[in-house]
Amino acid sequence: LSHSGGTGALAQWVLVELQGEVEPRQGGDLAGSLLGDLHYTCEGVPVLIVGHHILYGKVVQLEKPFAVLVKQGGAPQPSPAGPHGHYTVTALIKTKLLFKTRPKPIITHVPRKV
Amino acid sequence: AAMRSRAEVDATLQTAKVNPAELLPAVHCLSFGPQAGGGECCLLQLEPGLCAELEAGRSLVIRGEEDEHAVLCSKDKTYDMKIADTSNMLLFVPGCKTPEELNADPASCNIIHSQIAGFSKNYWELRRCRPKLKKLRKLLMEDPYKGPDSWKDQTSTFSKYTTEDLLSLIQASEEEILHQLQVIDACKIEGYWRILDFDYEMKLLNHVTQLIDSESWPLSKVPLSACLEELGSLEPREMIEHILLSYGRKYVDDAGEVFFEMREDKICRAIAQMLLQNAVKFNLSEFEEVWQQSVPEGMTTRLDQLQGLALVDKSSRPETIFLLKVEDLPEDNQERFNSLFGIRQKWTEVDITPYIQDLCAEKQTVGALLTKYARSSMLNGIKVYNSRRPIS
Repeated sequence: LSHSGGTGALAQWVLVELQGEVEPRQGGDLAGSLLGDLHYTCEGVPVLIVGHHILYGKVVQLEKPFAVLVKQGGAPQPSPAGPHGHYTVTALIKTKLLFKTRPKPIITHVPRKV
Repeated sequence: AAMRSRAEVDATLQTAKVNPAELLPAVHCLSFGPQAGGGECCLLQLEPGLCAELEAGRSLVIRGEEDEHAVLCSKDKTYDMKIADTSNMLLFVPGCKTPEELNADPASCNIIHSQIAGFSKNYWELRRCRPKLKKLRKLLMEDPYKGPDSWKDQTSTFSKYTTEDLLSLIQASEEEILHQLQVIDACKIEGYWRILDFDYEMKLLNHVTQLIDSESWPLSKVPLSACLEELGSLEPREMIEHILLSYGRKYVDDAGEVFFEMREDKICRAIAQMLLQNAVKFNLSEFEEVWQQSVPEGMTTRLDQLQGLALVDKSSRPETIFLLKVEDLPEDNQERFNSLFGIRQKWTEVDITPYIQDLCAEKQTVGALLTKYARSSMLNGIKVYNSRRPIS
């Protein structure tokens, strides 16, 4: 039941926090599909363009960082009683990009193709 | 899906009416990685200190059998794990840079294709908890060590536990487990952790106290080598040394010789247990007399040596005393209080403290526990505590 950091330094990932659900377009597979473009303004404000929405967020340094655990061996989902099985700590997350503002819809529906 | 091009990104910006001049040059094109929907990744929120431990390369371990709530253990602490739901979607993105990182590295790529490794609506929260050590004693009591002559011991290794066995079965950190083994006077025999059978333990103790008496050694200066020499023919040397370590404080004198300062309170307490375990309860004054006569010459018995071991009933005529060991009581807070109030309806703080002291979390007081789990009232001018709920 152990999980531990692998050899070498732990990777640092970032958390992106969004409101609502994430669904694949046209009911396809999520894997491989695009979410959107993430920009930062010169002042460091994250801007996320997802589909027909534009979201403004902020960079938050987490008071309590997260560890990302990856289950080994493809066992069933963690149960409410507790995660059972082998886990490895793959990465640490100390920063999150929080998008809480209501998405502003982009007026035109069809992205202009070049 | 095809990777987005700079032209496509710029087109989107234009459609969105965002001015590229107000943005940093780099853009992250986020897409879902191949494993993203699999649910194999989950998030664990780290309490202070744990992040540093992971970065230092140390492990964290999740412990718990199927019927137990999982706990997370660092090297020296134990935490309860609980799922926290957010109403938001949390995406974990490797290789995603913050504005600071982008500004610090002017050569950063114009387009960064980032794959979202996973996402979740919840995460595991940790809360520091008392290590769950009652099971440790329970496991070791399955087969207490009765001495080398015990036939049972020579044969089976069933119900015998190595350090590794205990680490996988007990929901506590390694340090907490090793510390508790010391507290309960466990010893390692042939690689297995063992607790001594009480009668055997008393037999060993008796050998030592009789020897101290016949040699007229001062209780504060009992020589190890002489003990081993005199008693070595009766019991294994490791056991003689173990009983001295359990009931004495080891020190070395200027000449380098090892001595033990015998622990009066612990010896008196053990002898009391030996006397009390033979009946449901005793007449207090009779017990006190027999008890004092049973302890080694030079030792003085006191009732406060029996905290957490025995309880005096001052309401009965004559007053009585009976065995009540805190380690036999439930580990869970509510169950402990239910059990105590089932034994006695009203408790004074002085009487109940030894039986709830071990429930106190870091920085929690007995008073706080009483406020939470009991109701107070006055009885004959003394503050007493009783149950908050009717006991069935």
